[in-house]
Amino acid sequence: MWAAQILMAVIGLSAGMVVAGGLFSFISGLGVISDFADRTHTGEHIMLYEDSVALGGILGNIFFIYRITIPYGAWMAPVFGLFGGIFVGCWSMALAEILNVFPIFVRRAKVLRGIPYIILGVAIGKGLGALLFFFNRF
Amino acid sequence: MAGSSETVYIKADRNVEVTKPVVTLGDVLTMECSNPAVMAKLKTIKLLKFHHTDKKHQNRIAVSILKVIQCIHECCPNLDVQNMGETDFIVTYEEQQTSGGMMHYTKIVLVVIISFTGAAFSIMAFNNDVDVPKMFSQIYELMTGQQSDGFTILELTYCIGLIIGILTFFNHFGKKKFTVDPTPMEVEMRLYENDIQTTLIETYSRKEKELDVGSTDSNGSHRT
Repeated sequence: MWAAQILMAVIGLSAGMVVAGGLFSFISGLGVISDFADRTHTGEHIMLYEDSVALGGILGNIFFIYRITIPYGAWMAPVFGLFGGIFVGCWSMALAEILNVFPIFVRRAKVLRGIPYIILGVAIGKGLGALLFFFNRF
Repeated sequence: MAGSSETVYIKADRNVEVTKPVVTLGDVLTMECSNPAVMAKLKTIKLLKFHHTDKKHQNRIAVSILKVIQCIHECCPNLDVQNMGETDFIVTYEEQQTSGGMMHYTKIVLVVIISFTGAAFSIMAFNNDVDVPKMFSQIYELMTGQQSDGFTILELTYCIGLIIGILTFFNHFGKKKFTVDPTPMEVEMRLYENDIQTTLIETYSRKEKELDVGSTDSNGSHRT
């Protein structure tokens, strides 16, 4: 009985550490946060942003696993939705950028003008797609 | 004035930000010469001038080191110039920013909130996607033969492990660093800046807008 508990403790601990390593190298590797820091000219505060990411991961995980209810937390839902959406939007585009989606398409289709409209199209398409997804409760 | 045996060593940084519209060689280069008088003279040579210092125009120009050498040779033809740094560099004119303004802090707070919610969102999305709670209850049943109540040693240690993993990965919390290496985000930040600079220089040079010898001077002039 005790052996099983200890073994499970080891499994849980290692699982957490490996998941943290994988997921957070993905976040920093895609360069979303460094992109934010560069755009806002606040590169000197990159350590603060790292703390924020670390804290977000830690607290998000604890709240998810233990299903903790935040008292009077209803106002946080739209805040979380909006900023989570901004992050995921940047994230998905950063992923497309890493995978060279745009350079390849632009080269193949020989598009030279109107690239801003293509980006606008992608953004609106993603937004509408997400809306449709949630509206139909897929 | 300068003897033919004299050599000046110049080194340019890849990305230079200036706060005055008139840019001299001393603003963008570090140089070394055995004759201090020559060096003092070289530092005051005008390299270029930004004509439009308002926000509407792009106050950024790529400069070839050949242009710099040309400027030096116009002043002292016999000087031997050795370039130790970049062959192309970017000069950006930016007005003196009032650092610590409201806008600056608003931006920082915004980025902090986005990265916090983003990280929280990602870990929850990951847990949901691979169904961590279900997998933990399966492991619990496998190990103990009893039904999991969803609150076992596995979940507790997973949370602790995640904290250790994140802090080890990012290598610091707050101001306290665990090792002297730069953190992954610092590395990523530098890589990103490097990419931006390379792209800018290549774009300018492809559009032939780089300030080079023999190019028509569209943005700046060293004679003004």
